[in-house]
Amino acid sequence: MSSDTLKKRKAKVIRSDGGTPETKRGRGEGDQSEEVEEKLRQGCVHFITLKKLNRLAHMRLKKGRDQTHEAKQKVDVLHLQLQNLLYEVMHLQKEIGKCLEFKSQHEEIELVSVDDFLRDAPAEISRPHLTKDDPHQLTLARLDWELEQRKRLAEQYKSSLCSKEKILKGIELKKEYLGSLQPGLHAIMQASLPVQEYLSMPFERVQKQAEVARHLPPPLYVLFVQANAYGQACDKNLSVSISGDVDEAKALSRPPEDSQDDESDSDAEEEQQNTKRRRATVGVQLDDKRKEMLKRHPLSLCIDLKCKDGSVLHLFFYYLMNLNILTVKTKVSASADLSGAVSAGELLNSESLLNCLYASDHGQETPNPANRYQFDKVGIITFADYVSQLGHPYNWVQCLGGLQFSSDRPQAEGACSSLSASHMEATMKLLRGRLQSRLALHKQFGSLEHSIVPVSSECQHLFPAKVVSRLARWTMMSHQDFLELHFVQHVAKAGLVKETDLFFMAIVERGTARLQAAVVLNPRYPEITPLFSLSLLWKGERSGRSDDNLRAMESEVNVFRSELQGPRPGLQLLTNQIQRLCVCLDVYLETESQVCDGSEGPREFPREKMCLRTARGPNRLKPFKYNHPQGFFSHR
Amino acid sequence: MGPVELLHMSVFSQSFSPCGRFLAAGNNYGEIAIFSLSAALSPDATDLSQKPILTFTAHEGPVFTLLSTDTHLLSAGNGEISAWSWVELTKRSTKAVWTRRPNYKSSLEIPEINAMIINPKDNSLIVGGGDNNIHIMDMETGTFKSVLQGHTDYIHCLALKEREGEILSGGEDGAVRIWDSRTRQAVHCIEVFKYEECARPQFGKWISCLATDSDWMLCGGGPSLSLWHLRSMSPTSVFPLAGCQREAVFHQDVIFAVGEGPHVSHCLLGGSVKAQIPCTSPSLNTLALNLSSTEHRVMTAAGSSDKIDVFTNFSYRAFSLSF
Repeated sequence: MSSDTLKKRKAKVIRSDGGTPETKRGRGEGDQSEEVEEKLRQGCVHFITLKKLNRLAHMRLKKGRDQTHEAKQKVDVLHLQLQNLLYEVMHLQKEIGKCLEFKSQHEEIELVSVDDFLRDAPAEISRPHLTKDDPHQLTLARLDWELEQRKRLAEQYKSSLCSKEKILKGIELKKEYLGSLQPGLHAIMQASLPVQEYLSMPFERVQKQAEVARHLPPPLYVLFVQANAYGQACDKNLSVSISGDVDEAKALSRPPEDSQDDESDSDAEEEQQNTKRRRATVGVQLDDKRKEMLKRHPLSLCIDLKCKDGSVLHLFFYYLMNLNILTVKTKVSASADLSGAVSAGELLNSESLLNCLYASDHGQETPNPANRYQFDKVGIITFADYVSQLGHPYNWVQCLGGLQFSSDRPQAEGACSSLSASHMEATMKLLRGRLQSRLALHKQFGSLEHSIVPVSSECQHLFPAKVVSRLARWTMMSHQDFLELHFVQHVAKAGLVKETDLFFMAIVERGTARLQAAVVLNPRYPEITPLFSLSLLWKGERSGRSDDNLRAMESEVNVFRSELQGPRPGLQLLTNQIQRLCVCLDVYLETESQVCDGSEGPREFPREKMCLRTARGPNRLKPFKYNHPQGFFSHR
Repeated sequence: MGPVELLHMSVFSQSFSPCGRFLAAGNNYGEIAIFSLSAALSPDATDLSQKPILTFTAHEGPVFTLLSTDTHLLSAGNGEISAWSWVELTKRSTKAVWTRRPNYKSSLEIPEINAMIINPKDNSLIVGGGDNNIHIMDMETGTFKSVLQGHTDYIHCLALKEREGEILSGGEDGAVRIWDSRTRQAVHCIEVFKYEECARPQFGKWISCLATDSDWMLCGGGPSLSLWHLRSMSPTSVFPLAGCQREAVFHQDVIFAVGEGPHVSHCLLGGSVKAQIPCTSPSLNTLALNLSSTEHRVMTAAGSSDKIDVFTNFSYRAFSLSF
């Protein structure tokens, strides 16, 4: 406010200064100069006061500023102190936190519990009077005790190690000693060889065989053991021998016996090798895979069955490793000369000799169902293609080797020897029976081809003394030819004809009458009766279907096996059947009414057989049954 | 019975039970099989219902003839007649009620019995067979009252004219003899093979089937099947059937005949063959009609096989029962 006043005054002065010159001019200059000097003196005074005031104001201002400045400074110092303290507080807090979190290593050591410690530790360590109250001392004491215990146990460990070393050394020594025994024993055995021969007890040979047998695969081994046992116990005419390459077998037994992996590994190797040399065609690769799958074990078993008449049946058993089945090949060395019978060609054919030893055991397909998947992998459609090369995988062969494959039972693990034992006797009997029946048939066929029906003296009573009809021809037929005959369709329809059967045609003639008989011979002859089907060509053609009497003749020959089989083992069944057929044809022709073709005249076949009645029953059957010793024919 | 025995089986005789629900069949091995018709004809029949419910050996020789009375089944074997109770048979009990033998003269070979019929008037059983004679047995007492002799060869078939009480018999000697049951004398003797229309010398002269229907008679065998008028004793129609017929029956206006050849022949009274229905057996021995039952009204035929064909509609074979 004073500055305003001063400013007003200044303006006033200036104005008045300005004004004064003007007024000076106006009025007179004398008065004016005194006023002006007065005014100038006043103005200067005013100026000086003004300056003084300004100065005072400035000084006051300055003072105020200084005071503020001081106060500010004080505040700053205090503020700084405060911050220092706060920092210190934070720092201390962190330190405290760290201290609290500190974990000493000693807490990781598992110490025995306090009670155990107080109980076990000796007094100088546990110092109960101190540790009772002070947990720190207690922990220290426990640590001490721990340390001591550990030291002690470390010492014990060292001493046990030492003793173990000693014992191992002792074992080594003893082993060496035992090893040195074996050469000594061997030397003794060599020395005893001459003694064995002198006493004729071939232990050595048997042992050698047993030695080789150790390398046999399990099924063959089972078969070997069982066959040997059976041969020694029941059957002196059975001998067993092992043939093949023992070294290869040893080589095989070393790597693990997993056929699947082996195959794939060897395949992989093969393929690698092939790409290195040249790219083999897919066909060749597949071929190799097939060969690999069908590989035989290098060792094979040979069982020889000798029969009473000197002929021998040789059976060679092979083991297919990857397929886990046994196969068999046969050979017959007959004592008598087997040539001469054309129709008997098939009888001793080694391919079909052992067909259907048990019913429906063809040996064309592998009995192991797992083989199906293996075959699919290498493109084998059916095992039958390889049968001639590898042998027949009959079911009885698997049973003898203890291998059991059944779709409804789980596959037996490995080879089971009780299965083999139970089948051995039955199978050997069947094999012998089969050989004998085939040899007998061979001999009989030779005679049949010469139109002579061989009837032994034991069976003469079945037939009359005079038989006029004779067997004109005896030939073998194929399955196809047989099925084409019109008079055998009823047999085929009844399911009694199989591909494994043998088929023959017998032609019996008397005068103008010609009887054709088609024979179905089951491989299991004489267990299964041969089946005859008849067709008669005489004044027209008749067959068992159209003529009841021919049907009765068929029945006479087919159904009465118990009469016709002759003495055990029934090997004369077929020839007796043929002879009976001839006798029945005689009866048929002689009893046929003479008015057959309407003409009266001398009968072609005069009645020679003695019959009581020539017709009986609603279908007027002829008397086909021969009665011995009265010698007349009657009806059944 | 193995498959070979089944292959050589022949069925010779059939008889329906009095209630009409069962069929008995006899074969050449001397066995009788009882089949349940109600099971075989039911809508849910399986293969098993076409097999017999009971099979047993009744006789030593073949069972050539079976006959049913109101309660019993009569079967004939080698020279013996056995009776079985139907009620017991359906319960699978195979004990014969009685077995009787006619008096045979010779004992060297036991003659078979080929035909049996019952005369309801005096309750007697008339039996004809291999000894060329007809025996008459009283059903109540079981004694053989009389023997009718006259045939020179064995007797194939018998028939009865109820009204006049006359017995007709046909035999291997080719003669059809007509006997009076009371006087036991042969009234007529017809030698069929002497008549040119019927005779077939290429086959023979035996008569194997006979049937009568009041004044009419059917006979056949070696000679052709022919229909005779008994009053005039002359053949009125001859049926042109190829084989030898073994059984023929009258049914309403049709004649059914079976014999050699795998078919049942339907013939009309006029002499024409209406139809020949094929069957499974190559030749047939026996034909039977189940007239006593309404719901199981079938015709069955069997012969040289182990199958019995069943015809529900007489014009075609429905299915076969098998032994």
